[in-house]
Amino acid sequence: MLRLWLNTATLLCAASLLLIVTFLLYASSPIFAAQGLNFVVEQEWYPYEALFGLLPVLVGSLLSVGVAIALALPLGVAAALFNLEIIPKAAQSWLRLLMELMAGIPSVVYGLLGLWLLVPLLESQLNLLTGRTLFTAALLLAIMALPTIMVLSEDALRRVSREQRENAVTLGLNWWQQVCRILLPQAWPGIRLATLLALGRALGETVAVMLVVGSIDRIPEPFYNLLLPAQTFTSRIGREMGEAEIDSLHWAALMSSGLALMLISLIVVAPSLFWRSK
Amino acid sequence: MSSVFTPAKLIVTLLALPALIIPAFALGYIVYQGSSVISWQFLTSSDALDGFGNSSGILGQLTGSLLLALGGCLIATPIALGAGLFYQLQANPRQRKLLESVLYLLQAIPPIVYGLFGLVLFVHLLAWGVSLLTGMLILAIVVLPALTLNTITSLQRIAPEYSEAARALGLSDSALVGRVWLRHARLELITGQLLAMARALSETAPILFTATVFSGVVWPESLLSPVTTLQTHIFYLAQEGGNPLAIQVAWGSALVLVASVALFSLLARKLKSIGEQ
Amino acid sequence: MLRLATITLLLSLCLPTLATGQIRAAGSTTLLPIIAEAAKVFRKQHPDITLTVSGGGSGVGITSLKQRKIEIGMSSRPLTKKEQTQLQHIAHEIPIAVDAVAIAVSKAVYQGGIKELTIQQVADIYRGKIRNWSELGGADSPILVIDKESSRGTRHVFAKVVLGDERARAPGATIITGSNNEEQSAISNSDKAIGMLSNAWLNDKVRAIALIQDNLSRLPSTENIISGRYPIQRTLNILIHNDSSTQTRAFVDFLQSEQGQQIVQQVGYLPAH
Repeated sequence: MLRLWLNTATLLCAASLLLIVTFLLYASSPIFAAQGLNFVVEQEWYPYEALFGLLPVLVGSLLSVGVAIALALPLGVAAALFNLEIIPKAAQSWLRLLMELMAGIPSVVYGLLGLWLLVPLLESQLNLLTGRTLFTAALLLAIMALPTIMVLSEDALRRVSREQRENAVTLGLNWWQQVCRILLPQAWPGIRLATLLALGRALGETVAVMLVVGSIDRIPEPFYNLLLPAQTFTSRIGREMGEAEIDSLHWAALMSSGLALMLISLIVVAPSLFWRSK
Repeated sequence: MSSVFTPAKLIVTLLALPALIIPAFALGYIVYQGSSVISWQFLTSSDALDGFGNSSGILGQLTGSLLLALGGCLIATPIALGAGLFYQLQANPRQRKLLESVLYLLQAIPPIVYGLFGLVLFVHLLAWGVSLLTGMLILAIVVLPALTLNTITSLQRIAPEYSEAARALGLSDSALVGRVWLRHARLELITGQLLAMARALSETAPILFTATVFSGVVWPESLLSPVTTLQTHIFYLAQEGGNPLAIQVAWGSALVLVASVALFSLLARKLKSIGEQ
Repeated sequence: MLRLATITLLLSLCLPTLATGQIRAAGSTTLLPIIAEAAKVFRKQHPDITLTVSGGGSGVGITSLKQRKIEIGMSSRPLTKKEQTQLQHIAHEIPIAVDAVAIAVSKAVYQGGIKELTIQQVADIYRGKIRNWSELGGADSPILVIDKESSRGTRHVFAKVVLGDERARAPGATIITGSNNEEQSAISNSDKAIGMLSNAWLNDKVRAIALIQDNLSRLPSTENIISGRYPIQRTLNILIHNDSSTQTRAFVDFLQSEQGQQIVQQVGYLPAH
């Protein structure tokens, strides 16, 4: 009886992974059949004209997430160092509590903040035509990633043994040298794991991005101009999943976006699997 | 930790400030904006019949959110527990590796993809339509990997002496699991459940088109009826930027949602610290 | 213990009440206020009937109805030929209101002098040929062109009249919005925007401009809509199956009744006549 339960449960876990992958492959096969791999590099998305380009969302997602993590990583690690090293012990647990609470704020609430605070702010401060841009999405994603990166980095930094730190002090290293030569390198495995986790989450973030990114399937011109509206995988899927007719080519194309998103997410998480096994 | 404030520390502090101030400001803003709307009436009357936030009252949305999250966690629990026990009890190192990888991969898949999957399988193929049941199953898939990983770590924390002693006494597998393991890991397991609840309450995209409607439901009649939730209510209200009452209701709902998630997170944290003593 | 309680609670939900008096409506966000408000009143009269309402757009309404996922589909555009063939023997349309698709601009644009445009000018804006309000006699600022998701009914109707084809692309679009709500707030939060919006959604910050056709300038006013002089107008329909339940028909009758049509006008639309 026990065996049955345990075996079934484990099989279900394994089966769900297989099921999801197979499902996405199967559901997106019509678009591969109809257009081969052309649609991957196609620059336009307009279902009525059978244009199902992946390029706009690929650029949009990668840029927004890349910028978000590039912003959140140094700030998050700095905040972790700050909490660990600089502020008095009494305040540390409060700050930590604040961060853990922030990490749990639902993304739709961030969407609210983004749409009602960030968009008008950026529009007026940067004198933009519209505040709904890729940069806005990146900023919002960065704000969402900060607490996670900070909390996990702090954990990693704390794990650096006292011994190591005491050795560093005996050797006459000053604080900054301690940080750079001992703390950060030792905590690096934990920090990079945290980064990967945050990266994956940012890639999959849907509602917050959907509300602020502008949702236009167009590669910004030039492609690195983040201050223009654009589209991401999640925003496209979120906006069109209700309306695409199942079994249509449009639906298959949407599924291919889902497939691409899943593949990219799995590729992002793969290094961590490799690292864990070491 | 020297107390001398060096230039290096200054730079680190400056970098850290945005990371600390922005989230704190965000939290403060939510509390500030939302608290003006919160009242007993807000929480217990229902606006679900209107949907446009023209009359406040989020009872329907609150129950919807809680039901979905609760159902999702309940469905995921036996599977998470079973797989965790498999890992700890039966699996050889190779199987453990495999299970771990499967779980991390599942955890990396964005929830919207699970929403797509659920849309096709539950809403269309199984013809359950947009329903509570569909939403619960999708949320179950979303929280399953984290819950299973939590089960595994909880079981691993049990001091091996207990298991050895139990084996020495000749306890069967079931007894070992039931009498020893689940007993000792109880606290951590519940912590995992609470965290899963917090997670399930935060998900919006996967339930948007699979379990929820804009308005019309306060207490779902059956598992096959759709629901309204706080998350989707906030999402709809976010698009009503011009209506001041809608704005207020949105912040109020956001505060209630954040508070609910925080409740579960804080409970989990509390349990964890009790467990560590 | 807590778990036991919740399990019993959830099991109680399993009591099969699936088919009793359930009406699911979904589709156009233009019709959403009407149906939501009518549903509120209808529920008071028929407390045993469950009526859920969702948005999603005309495309969602028609598709979901076809797939029998809902009982009432809301559409703010005429059915395409393909849809007509598909729905030929299974469903039919019932007009319940009339409105116009207004070309809406931000208040600042209106007050800056842009009060009327030719259809060609609007088309040029949406095609990216006109990019600055000064080209049209307004202030010197770039135009925030707000387009809609291509499956939305309002967009179909707009594209048909302004761009020539209901599926036409708008290369000049800056951002894309979905529901009428979203479009309205995007226009009102800007001082340079132009968008397409049902005339019932106009307000102080979102102003309609008059459309010039054949040298005559027409605002989407009630008279212009009723007389057909405003170029972009439409009937708002609901679609029901030919074999729909008595509850569904009861609601439809309610919508078409005097009380229902009063609600239509209350919310800002014109009655179906």
